[in-house]
Amino acid sequence: MTISLRVNGRVHDLDVEPEAMLVDVLREHLGLTGPRVTCGVGLCGTCTVLIDGEPVSACIMMTALAEGREITSIEGVADDDPVVAAFDRHHAFQCGFCIPGMVLTARNLIDRGQAGSAREIREGLGGNLCRCGCYVKIVEAIEEAAP
Amino acid sequence: MLITPDDVEGLTRFGCQIADQVVLTREPRFVGDAIAAVVAPSAEAARVAARLVQVSYEETPAVFDHLEAVRPDAPLVHRRHAGSDSDSAYFAMRPQDGTNVCHRFRIRTPQLRGREEPAVIVDLDDPDDALADAFDEADVVVDEVFHTPAAAHVPMEPHATTALWVDGRLEVTTGTQTPFNLRQDLAGIFGLPVESVRVVVPPMGGAFGAKTFVRTEAVVAAAARIVGRPVRCVLDRDEVFGELTRHAATVRVKLGARADGTFVAKRLWAYVNTGAYADCGPGVAQKLGYAGVGPYRIEHVAVDSYCVYTNLPPGGAFRGYGAMQSVWASERVVDLMAERLGVDAVELRRRNLLREGDRFCTGETMHDVRFEELLDAAAAAVGWSRGGERSGLGVAVMLKGMQTPSRAEVRIVSMPDGRFEVQSATADIGQGATEMLTRLAARHLGCGVERVVVCTPDTDRVPYDTRTTSSRSTHMMDRALQEAARDLARHGSVGHGHVTDEGGLDPDTGEGVASSHWHQGAASARLRVDDETGIIDLEDLYAISYAGRVVNPHGAELQQEGSMILGLGTALFEELQFEGGQIVNPNLSDYNIPSSVDVAAIRHSVLEHEGAQVHGLGETAVPPVPPAIGNAVGSLGYRVRRLPLTPERVLDAAEPVKARPTRSEADR
Repeated sequence: MTISLRVNGRVHDLDVEPEAMLVDVLREHLGLTGPRVTCGVGLCGTCTVLIDGEPVSACIMMTALAEGREITSIEGVADDDPVVAAFDRHHAFQCGFCIPGMVLTARNLIDRGQAGSAREIREGLGGNLCRCGCYVKIVEAIEEAAP
Repeated sequence: MLITPDDVEGLTRFGCQIADQVVLTREPRFVGDAIAAVVAPSAEAARVAARLVQVSYEETPAVFDHLEAVRPDAPLVHRRHAGSDSDSAYFAMRPQDGTNVCHRFRIRTPQLRGREEPAVIVDLDDPDDALADAFDEADVVVDEVFHTPAAAHVPMEPHATTALWVDGRLEVTTGTQTPFNLRQDLAGIFGLPVESVRVVVPPMGGAFGAKTFVRTEAVVAAAARIVGRPVRCVLDRDEVFGELTRHAATVRVKLGARADGTFVAKRLWAYVNTGAYADCGPGVAQKLGYAGVGPYRIEHVAVDSYCVYTNLPPGGAFRGYGAMQSVWASERVVDLMAERLGVDAVELRRRNLLREGDRFCTGETMHDVRFEELLDAAAAAVGWSRGGERSGLGVAVMLKGMQTPSRAEVRIVSMPDGRFEVQSATADIGQGATEMLTRLAARHLGCGVERVVVCTPDTDRVPYDTRTTSSRSTHMMDRALQEAARDLARHGSVGHGHVTDEGGLDPDTGEGVASSHWHQGAASARLRVDDETGIIDLEDLYAISYAGRVVNPHGAELQQEGSMILGLGTALFEELQFEGGQIVNPNLSDYNIPSSVDVAAIRHSVLEHEGAQVHGLGETAVPPVPPAIGNAVGSLGYRVRRLPLTPERVLDAAEPVKARPTRSEADR
C-alpha cells in the first residue's frame, strides 16, 4: 500500500506492506537506524519515536496509524539539544543502543513537566530499559536538562 | 533456499573448549538447536519459508536438571566425550567417561591429595569420608547448599552477523567479543588456514558474555558459501534468550572453623549446568571452583566442580563468570558461620582474609592484596559498627580471577598527518574500549587524545589478542600499549607491543597460577523486609572494587553501576524458567531486567593506589551484590538458599531468629 509519512519534518511517500510496523519502515525504507528493535513487544523502549510529541513504541505500531501525524526520531533531534548535551556531559551511555529512546522519552517528560525530581524521572523512564545499567547517570543528566 | 544437515556434512565439528557441536544437527539436543537454515531475499520471506519446513522427530530421553544429569542412570546427552584444538581450551579437560560430566575441576591442598575417591560425587549429602579428616581441627562446621538459576544476558542489540565469501576467503562481520578465537574456530570448521578467514567487529549494543566464540557465524558462513551471496542473520529476542545462558549451578559449601573463628577447612562441591554443549562451561566450572574458596586463608581446601551436560540451551560466559554462583554460596556460609560462632560477620572475615604474601589454595602467592580495605569500606558504607545493630545489614567480599594464561598484542602506527592509529582486537561492547585505548595510548605516547584514533577490530589488520572478556582488556592493553609506544619511539613509524601472562591450573589438584592478578571487591546492603509480603526494600546498596589506577573515571563509574545493577537483578528477580526443557519466559515481559525504578539505592566507589597496576573493572561489582543482599535478608531471619530472592521465597524461608548472643557471651 502507498502511504505518506511525515518524519522529522519531511514528507515521504512510501510503498509498504500493510502489516509493516513503523520501526521497520523507518529503518528499512528511510534508513533511520536510531529506533532499534530489542524486545519486539513494546516493553523496552529502544524503538521509541515521538508521534505528535508523545513517545510511542514503534515496534508495535502499525505504520498506517502514523499517517498524517508528526513522527520524530532521534535523527530529528538537533545536535545542540539540551537533553542530548546533558547526556553527553554526564557520560550517560555505554553501548548507546537504548539512548535514542531514552533521549526522546526524556524530552517528553521535560515537556510535560514530569522531570521535577530524580524519583519522578526514574518513574517516567520505567519503560526504557538499559542493560549496561547507565540509569544513575541518565537520571542525573535529565535532572540537569529539566528547567 | 533450505539448507539441511546434508548440505553441511563435510564441515568439521567445533566448540571452543570441547568440539561437541556441528553446524546443523540431525540430533537436536535442546530446544533451539539449529537443524536447518532458510535463506531468502528478505527476512519476511525467510520467516514464511521457515514455517513451511516439516520436521519429523524421534523422541529420546532427556535430562534437564544438573543434579539428575550426574546420576549413573541419567541419559547421556553426548555418547562420547571430545576435546578441542582451539586456543580457547587453555587447560586439560577432565571428562568423566560414561557420565554427563564433560569436565571436572578439582582443588586439593597438599595434605588432601592421593586419596582413594569416587570420580564423581552424585549425592548432595555425600558424607565425604575420604576427606573428612580435613575438618578434624574444626570446632564448628557449617554445611549448606545454595542454588543459582540460569539467567539471560539480554544485550539490547541481538546477535547480528553478515558473512560473504570473496575468492575462497570467508569474511564475517559480526558482534563478537572473541574475534581471533572465532577466526580460528571458523577456519577449523571450513578447513581453511586462519589467514583465509577475516572477522570484522563493529561496536556492539552490549554483550555481557553472550557474544563469545561461535554463535550464529558458522551457519551464516555455511549458508553464504552455499548460496554464493552475502547472508545476514539477526536473531529475534526469543532466539537470543535460547542462544546462550548463564549457567545454573548448585553449590554445596562446608566450612570448618575453630572456636576462635579461624577457618581451618573448606570443602566445596559445584554442579554447573552447561546445557547441551560445553561452550566455555569447563572454564566457568574452574573459575567458579576457586572463586568459591574466597579471599581467605584456609589450610585445607578441597573443591570438586563438575561441568554437566543437560538438554537445556548452552551455558556460556556471563558477566561474573562463575564467581557469581559460588560467591553467593560461600559468602552466605561465612555469615552462617559467624552466627554459629556468635561473632561479628565482618570481624570473622577480617580474621581470615588473605593478606599480602599469603598463599591461596592454588599455591600461588597473593600480591597487591586489598581485601581488608575493601571490606572495611563496604561495612562502613552501611553503618556497620562494632557491637552495633546488625538487623538488615549485610556484607560480602570476594576475589575473581582474570583469564590466565593470557596474551595481548597491539600496534601503534604513526600516520602522515601526525596522528597515531591504535590497532587492537579489543572489541567495543559498550564498555568503552575505544575511549580506554585512546586514553592509554595518549598517555604512553605523551600526546593529546585528539591525536589518537582507534581502528575497528578486523583480524586482517589488528594483531592477536586472547579476547575481550574476563575484565582483562584494560589491564592487558595498558601494558601492551606501553611497550608499543616504546617500540614506536625506537623504530619511528610502527610500534609493536606484546605481553604474555603464563599460568593456569592443574585440573586434578588446582595447583598453579589461577590469575596473574586479582579482581577484588566487596559489597554491602542495608534493607528492610516486609514480613507480610516478603518484599525487600533496599535502602542502601554499596560496592567497592579495587581499580589499581583508574584510566577513565566516568567509564569506571559506569562499569561499577552496571555491574551492581546486573547483580541486583540476579539477587532479586532474574531467572530463566523452563518447562520440559523449553524456556517459558524468553521475552522481556516475563523475564524482567532492572529498570530505572530499581536503582535508587545504589552507591559505589573504586579503590586506587599510587603506582599500582591498572586493573579491570568490568564485573568485579557483580558477584558480591547477591550475597550482600542475601546476608542482609538473612540477618532478619530469612534464610533463602535459592536465587533470586523473590517475595515468595523470602516468606518461605522465614525462620525464627535465635536470640543473638550478647557481646559478653560471645567473648567468653
